[in-house]
Order: sequence, then structure tokens, then C-alpha cells
Amino acid sequence: MTVRKIVTIVEEVCAEGGREVTPAARVAVVAAVIENPWAGQGFVEDLQPGIEQHASAVGALLAPQVLAALDAPAEAYGKAAIVGLDGEVEHGSALIHTLKFGDHFRKAANATTLLPAVEKRGPAGVVFDIPLKHVTDATIRSHHQTVEVRLADAPHPGEIVIALAAAAQGRPQQRLAPLSTER
Amino acid sequence: MTAVDTARVRRTGTPPDAASGTGPAPAARGARSAVGIRKVVLYRETVLAENGSAPARPSERATVAAVLANPWVGTGPATDLAPAVEVVAPVLAQLLTGRLIDALGGVDRIEAFGKAALVGTAGELEHAGALIHTPYFGNLMREFLGGESIICFADTRADAGETLVVPMWHKTHAATRSHYQTISARVPDAPRPDEIVVIAAASTGPRPHARIGDRATDPVVTAEKLEIS
Repeated sequence: MTVRKIVTIVEEVCAEGGREVTPAARVAVVAAVIENPWAGQGFVEDLQPGIEQHASAVGALLAPQVLAALDAPAEAYGKAAIVGLDGEVEHGSALIHTLKFGDHFRKAANATTLLPAVEKRGPAGVVFDIPLKHVTDATIRSHHQTVEVRLADAPHPGEIVIALAAAAQGRPQQRLAPLSTER
Repeated sequence: MTAVDTARVRRTGTPPDAASGTGPAPAARGARSAVGIRKVVLYRETVLAENGSAPARPSERATVAAVLANPWVGTGPATDLAPAVEVVAPVLAQLLTGRLIDALGGVDRIEAFGKAALVGTAGELEHAGALIHTPYFGNLMREFLGGESIICFADTRADAGETLVVPMWHKTHAATRSHYQTISARVPDAPRPDEIVVIAAASTGPRPHARIGDRATDPVVTAEKLEIS
């Protein structure tokens, strides 16, 4: 796996809706810009060898870093695969939609749910939103949130951006009734 | 030691005089809320490969952006900006440099710096300039980051989500060509019309494969010598 660049983003919201948020709401993202393992090979029918070779390694690279950047227990999490213009969305999905990738994050975060994801294809500098849900119960409404990301010069046409996101809490000023109240 | 522990050690390892912005010290939090900070965003990138090979000196670049209420919204162009600058700018300088030092592993690792501001559409560009171009920000940023150079900058008025390319150069020898570099900064939902985004940027080294010489190695180039009339 060739990694060109690793990007860390930490957002802290200190106020929302005109009211202070205490402690500040933290969301962290760590993204690796990697070479698309299937670049230049035409239509590859069997993606499994590439998945075996790379998916676990990317997950192992990103999981500890996003938790370190968050510097708090993760209560919500999500993932992203943004494929450069010469690749297939399927290439990005191949790397993140396997337990080999996600289990690194799940174990490190003491999580049990599946990671919500964004997969898309775009040019360098494309804006993408990573959805996050609660790490042990995806129906906990207070923790449904997204974080917006843009990397100025990635992905190149032959690259894929793989990212993990973690939040230390739900939405700032969350105050919606839980799902159970509507059942 | 877990990764989280490592990060915590790094954060709390900031020299006390650099006034870490990450610690939840009540005084710092009070100062932040007094200047109306809505959000603080850290962006850090590490280039592991450029044009297919690892840089001889890998460097990390970072920006820290603070989103705050524009203290001058609704005031006319004759308004004296100094009183608010003297209150707000030092808080920003302290907060942003503290975060940069934490993110880049210590003040001694920082070799290049730059600054920037984006003012929302209900403000004047002069409002953005007021928060970054006076000694109440610039001198303090230079002091906290151990620099001597003038700090290079970018500023603009924009809608939320605008990308601003922030220039950086060497913090003690501004003419060091290997350290001329930029970093893109963007906060998705800021500045709102009545907000200002203030950004401090720093790098721990030169461009990935810097190889365009320096003043010491340049030949003498003039229009006459190149026969350009």
C-alpha cells in the first residue's frame, strides 16, 4: 500500500444556536490518501486479492490515529472512501466494506455497530460528508451527525481517500425525542 | 501506552508560556467565550510521498482556524477598531499558536509560519486585517512560535466554506526559499455573514523535494543579461 499523505482534522464546537457548548463538542477525522490498488488494470473481476492485501492495513493505520486525534472515548463513528476519477466506486467500497477494515476501529473504540459510510468518486478537492452513528446502538438519535471534509489535492485520478471519523458526543445542543418515543 | 495516552502527553507537554489552547483551563475557556468563538478547527497533513518518493525531510503542516463573531458588524467605516483588537487579538494569538504547537509536536519543531483571515459578507476586509495585522496578534504569534520574520498572510471576504490558500515562509529567515509553501484552509460552515475566521499556519520543514536553489546559489539574472528588451 502506497500512502501519499495523511490528514488529521479536529473540529471543536464551542457554541451552537447562540449558546455555549461545554465541554466543546469534538469530532476527529483521519484520512489516508493511497494509490488505488486496481489503477491501470482495466476492469478487474475479482477484487478479493486486493482486498486481502490492503483493507486490513488501511484500517490498522487509521484507527489508532483517529482515536488519538479525538483524545476522548468515541461515542459515534463513520467511514469514507473517495475514489479518484480513473477508478470505480467499487474500488473504494472494496477497501472499506469488509470486516478486515472496520474491525480495527470497532475494537479500538469498543464498538459493536456497523460503520456508516460515504462512498463516491470525485476530483481532487471534492467535498464529502462522513455520516456518524452511535458506536453501540445505531438507533440512538442524538448521535446521528455528519462531518464535512475536503482535501485540497486529493484524490488524484489514480488514488483513493480512505477516512475514519469519530465523535466524542452526539450533536451539540441535541434535543430530539428518542426513537422509542415514536414507537 | 495507548494512542490516546500519547496524544494526551503531547498535548499537555506544551510549554506553559505557549498557553496551550487545548487544555480545558477555565480561564482560557472564559476568554474564548468572551471573544465569541463558535468553533476551532485543526487541520494537519503529513506528506509521506511526493511524485513517487518519500521526502528527504518529511514535514508536517497544520492550520488552526477559530471562528468568532465579528465584533464590528453594523459599525461604520469611521469606527476605531483598536479597542476590540486589543481585547480579541491576543486571545486568538494565544489559542491558535497553542494548538499549532500541540499539533506539530512542540515549538522547536516549527520552522515556517503564516496567518490568514476570512471575513463574512456583512463585514469589511479591514475587520479581518484588524485581527491579524496588528502587534496584538502578529507580535504575539511570532513570540509564541519562536520566530523573528514578518509573518506572511492571506485575507479575503467570503461566504461560508470558501477555501483560502495560506502562505508560509521560514520563521527566522524569511528568504529561505525551500520553506516557501502554502496550505489550504477551509471551514465548511464559516464564516457566516457576521463572523470572522482567523487562521494560524505552520510547517515543520521545507517543501517535499525542495530543489530550486536559494539566493546563495542563484546566478545574476537581469533583463539585460537574458536579452529581454
